[in-house]
Parts: sequence; C-alpha cells; structure tokens
Amino acid sequence: MHWPGGTGTLAAAVTNTVRDLRAEKGWSQQDLADKLSVSRQTINAIETGKYDPSLPLAFKLAKLFGKRIEQMFVPEA
Amino acid sequence: MSKSKKQYLLEVAGALALYTVLLVFSIVTLRAIGVGSPTPLRVVIALLPMVATVFIMLAALRFFRRMDELEKRIQLDSLALAFVGTAFITFGYGFLEIVGFPHISWFAVWPLMAVLWVIGHALARRHWHSGGSGD
Repeated sequence: MHWPGGTGTLAAAVTNTVRDLRAEKGWSQQDLADKLSVSRQTINAIETGKYDPSLPLAFKLAKLFGKRIEQMFVPEA
Repeated sequence: MSKSKKQYLLEVAGALALYTVLLVFSIVTLRAIGVGSPTPLRVVIALLPMVATVFIMLAALRFFRRMDELEKRIQLDSLALAFVGTAFITFGYGFLEIVGFPHISWFAVWPLMAVLWVIGHALARRHWHSGGSGD
C-alpha cells in the first residue's frame, strides 16, 4: 500500500547488498538486527528497499561487514 | 516483545494504577465537598489525577526515544495522521455545534486522537513492513 503523501524521495532510489552480505555470513535477519541494536523489521525493510537507513546506521552496517558505504548502497541509475 | 516495550508497559501500568487511585479519590472528595464554584481547593482536587498522567507522558517519551529508527518513522507517520485527522474532525464538529449539534466534552478529543493513532500505526506498519521477511 502507499502512504498518503508519499514515503520520501529516496525510498526506491537506492539498492543495497545487505541481504547478500548477511547470507554470506550465515546470519538471520534477527542476528543482524541484534548486532546493530535495531528491530528485525528494520533489517527486512532495508533489505527489501522499503527503507533507507540513516547515515549512522549505514556506517554501522558497513563497519560490520568490512565494506565501504558506497560498496553496500548504490544509487539506481 | 522487546525489553524497552516491556519496560514501557510496566511504567504505564504503574502510572495507570496511580491514576485510578487518584481519580477515585478526586471524585469521592469532590462529591463530599460539593462541586460549586472553582475554588483553589476544588481545582487542586479536580486536577489530582493529572499527576499520574505526567508519569504516563514521561514513560511514553522515554519509549519513543528508545525506539529504533524505522519504528520512529512509523510513529511519525502514525502521529501525523492522528494530528491532521483530529484537527479535521474537531474543527468540523466545532462548526456543526454552531448549528445545533450537541456539545461534546473535551475528554473526547484524546480518545479520538488515540483511535486515529492506532489506525495510522496499523497502516504505517503495513506500508513499511510489507515486502516479505526474506530470511
């Protein structure tokens, strides 16, 4: 469903590799959520592209996976 | 249920228990001394239950601060809907009262906002959580 007034301009403009990187580590969404102190739903929303994380959370994700932010979050052309 | 939600519910339950005690005391006392003009004593006794609502407000604010960023976004969407919906309905009904509709107590405003908040939260959760678990 669509939220009245839209969801923000960045909502579908960024793809990410969080799901693939998490799968490589063999972690569940809950495992990753616990490591980042967020809810499992937040991880799911990030992986499905529904929600773009804040810069601090993106940095935490990048640090956890040993990547740079731009390697994990890529603007769609 | 998350730890912070458990703590919030515990805090609210305690505050609601205090609210109930103060409310009963306030009603019984006001009946005993009579409800006439708003003397300082009557005002203080009438407002006594509000002491407990301060604890509820503080618990709610602490709960909001502990939420993760997506839940905060969901709450923002929910509260925005409750805010504009309450404005729309209360103003609309206010105009209807001018043409003879029965007066409704101020006590009705917050329950209305709460109902819209719950509806907004359900809609926002559906929006932000849709897309499968993908575990």
